[in-house]
Amino acid sequence: MTTTQPVTATAKEPRRVPGQPDMWVFVLFESLVFTSYFGVYLYYRAQREEAFLQAQSHLDLWLGVLGTIVLLTSSWSVARCVQTARAGQYRAATRDAFLTAGFGVAFLALKIVEWTGHVQAGHTFTSDDFFQHYFFLTAIHCVHLLIGFVVLGVLVHQLASPDRRSQETVETCATYWHTVDFFWVLIFALLYVVR
Amino acid sequence: MKRPAGRDDPKRELWLAWYAILVFYNLYTVVFFILTRTQPPGKPWYGAGDASGWFAHHHDGLLVGFALIFVLGGLSATSIALITYSIRRMSVSRAFAYSYLILYSVSAVPGFLFICVAMTAGAMRPDRDPALQQWLYDLGFLSFSGTMGVFLVGSLIWMAAILLDKNRVFPKWFGYLNLCNALTEVVVAPSWMFDRGVFAWNGLIAWWINVVVFGLYTGVFINLLRNVIIREDFGTGPLPGLPKRARGHAPAEVVS
Repeated sequence: MTTTQPVTATAKEPRRVPGQPDMWVFVLFESLVFTSYFGVYLYYRAQREEAFLQAQSHLDLWLGVLGTIVLLTSSWSVARCVQTARAGQYRAATRDAFLTAGFGVAFLALKIVEWTGHVQAGHTFTSDDFFQHYFFLTAIHCVHLLIGFVVLGVLVHQLASPDRRSQETVETCATYWHTVDFFWVLIFALLYVVR
Repeated sequence: MKRPAGRDDPKRELWLAWYAILVFYNLYTVVFFILTRTQPPGKPWYGAGDASGWFAHHHDGLLVGFALIFVLGGLSATSIALITYSIRRMSVSRAFAYSYLILYSVSAVPGFLFICVAMTAGAMRPDRDPALQQWLYDLGFLSFSGTMGVFLVGSLIWMAAILLDKNRVFPKWFGYLNLCNALTEVVVAPSWMFDRGVFAWNGLIAWWINVVVFGLYTGVFINLLRNVIIREDFGTGPLPGLPKRARGHAPAEVVS
């Protein structure tokens, strides 16, 4: 049974970041690492702009857009997972976590289709400078995505038992997933959109 | 502080190991960056004549530097040992500590010792066929830079132990930093495929970014190991916090 406490203007909860503050160290550090990868890409792109633009024209913008929509939808479902867990609706939260994983799998499938198409067309990791960066950035992002599946597994495991449930863990896992999406949006903009 | 019977300072061995780590990493920096000039690595596109010339040019530094490593390189074991000790102090299964110990001991052979052996052989046999010297040159740098992935699982094991630990031996953010380090170790793998560019063994992504991350990571874990020793109470429960007077100063005893 819970008792209702009067909420006064002075009894505000202290402001805090979602999830474990420690996860934000990962977010910031990985953001710096990705920034350095982007910096290297932009430097070489500026050096050989024509060659990069020519190679870039082989990318399917709409496949990139589709992947971005799928991944952003997964961000929406993991945000729903946090909300439903906060409301104590753990069954719905678990469903949202599985939905997020499903979108992640769909994104991965799209990437594999895209990679296969490029390799069959002769654009491989070693074929030219642009595709080196393309395969590297998309692959390192997919490694983060694969780790994201482990993170979602931890989330589902936590939600499965009342003894293990922790809103902080749910938010920490969601923070990781949003970070993976955030990196993709930057990669998409740099590789597919900026021409 | 609980002191085992008959012991003057139960932390003495731990401090000995920690200072040995300091000596090792300083020696490592001096040998690889200054004496042998094997870091930053040589040019990956060198042909037989260039590689032979590289050995001749670095002859004295290679011999002095790697002689020091052959005599003192064993100090690296103290780093692995102290980290293993810290994992044993956690509330997790001992399997984590033993896995880490074995993985890092094995990883040190291709990731650290191969380059010393290959480069010393190249420097000490200047009369050999330049093609063989080029082979030693490639072997040395590829084994050193290209086998970082074997350290990856060790980093992930340390990360998992920290995140599962309830004894607060290391802060959780350091667990996540282990993941960052592991992810940059993946990035070095393409150095096997390229002899120039950002993914070659001296490339911007494969070497420079990686070495900055590794340098930060190493500095952080050496400092955190120091804090673990200061906080160690030789119990089995959560480690106490840092005593106030130890923050930012010389190691101090923890009062429990």
